Amino acid sequence: MSTHDELKANAAGYALGSLDAQERQAFESHVAECAECSAEVASLRPIVGALAQAVPQVTPRAELRDRVLRETFGGAGVALPPSPNASADHRSPGGGGQTRPGSGAIRPAAPVWLALAAAIVIAIGAAIYAVRVQRQIGELQARVDQAQAAAAVLAAPDLARIDLQGQSVAPDARARALWSRSRGLVFTAANLPPAPAGKAYQVWVVTAQMPISAGLLVTDPIGVGTQYYSTPPDIAAPVAVAVTLEPAGGVPAPTGEKYLVGMP
Amino acid sequence: MWFLAALARMQPATESQAEDVSCLRRIASGDGGAAAGLYDRHSRALYSLILRIVGDEAEAEDVLQEVFAQAFRQASRYDTSRGAVAAWLLMMARSRAIDRLRARRTRFEGRTGEVTLEEMPDAQPSVASVMLNDEQTRSVQRALGELPLMQRIAIELAYYEGLSHSEIAERLEQPLGTVKTRIRLGLLKLRDVLTEGQA
Repeated sequence: MSTHDELKANAAGYALGSLDAQERQAFESHVAECAECSAEVASLRPIVGALAQAVPQVTPRAELRDRVLRETFGGAGVALPPSPNASADHRSPGGGGQTRPGSGAIRPAAPVWLALAAAIVIAIGAAIYAVRVQRQIGELQARVDQAQAAAAVLAAPDLARIDLQGQSVAPDARARALWSRSRGLVFTAANLPPAPAGKAYQVWVVTAQMPISAGLLVTDPIGVGTQYYSTPPDIAAPVAVAVTLEPAGGVPAPTGEKYLVGMP
Repeated sequence: MWFLAALARMQPATESQAEDVSCLRRIASGDGGAAAGLYDRHSRALYSLILRIVGDEAEAEDVLQEVFAQAFRQASRYDTSRGAVAAWLLMMARSRAIDRLRARRTRFEGRTGEVTLEEMPDAQPSVASVMLNDEQTRSVQRALGELPLMQRIAIELAYYEGLSHSEIAERLEQPLGTVKTRIRLGLLKLRDVLTEGQA
């Protein structure tokens, strides 16, 4: 026989609908006679209901409205009222008024100094360009290395995908972690607000024992960041991946606000 | 008792509930405009919940369509004593989305869930009918974000993935008792957040 306290420990699980069948039956017959447990269940119901609303709000594609109404309601005969925001997002294809410069008329020869000036400008431009290309090659090489490591992760036989949800500080943020124990972690995030000065986003692989830092995540001005991280091969299976805002340079254990959290 | 007083303050916006009920009546008599009205008011909240659960836009669209198909079919049988239409729709959305998730899990892992959703108490709509207002929802969302990570993960696995206590324990490699305690502490903390501002 279970004691009252043991049964009461199941009240929250009952309200959440997460008891196993046997436990649920035992709790149901108890709750019918126990005012205390029945009060606890009643007080938790609205909280469980709130979880349905406590998710990042996303507007479905406008096309879906017609499809749902046409296919689920009354077929072709029903005249559907226009969507309240139907006209809002019609994008015109193409760029509209394109101008075509220099439409073939032969111009008088330009003075020599203009040609010289042009040559100098081109030479300076070329020098700057060469320096820039050099730097870009370095950056690209680093990116290629990252991309190769990332591609190896994506092709890993033990790949697991974890989607992360934006938290209340950044409800629109989204991210996806692709993790392979043998090859590492590819992390890509979007819609993160710019990290304030002196702060940086840090990615955590949360195991049942503790959160392990994967590394810092740099985002571009529109809040997109993609990064490859190596993870220790003996790491316990992650139960979650999270992104927090931490002092620039990162910290050994999470201290800051959670921006993204996801579970396998 | 204090929580009954708190519940009394959580009534849905009554006009939108009245409008929803009138929509369902008109849908039952074949009014396409009413169906569109119901869609326009609720599709965003429902789609958001479904997307959170299934994690895939195309699949979320299919589930949203199933939910409205079910709602339109059952419009004539909707009983106002069951509570808010919005809560009824959200409950259907969660059930269908989790069914999808379970089907996918079974397909990929050859595993079958021992608990079917029909057996779960929250498949009975009468009890989950109290809707929070926007501000309260935001407080829950914020409070959820502030829970200790493991409490919150346990609650999210139960609610958004439909896992049972023992499945959560297995997933987190934690003792069953620890999982139960975390879920309970987490939910009680969320409840306190909602009631403390009103005490």
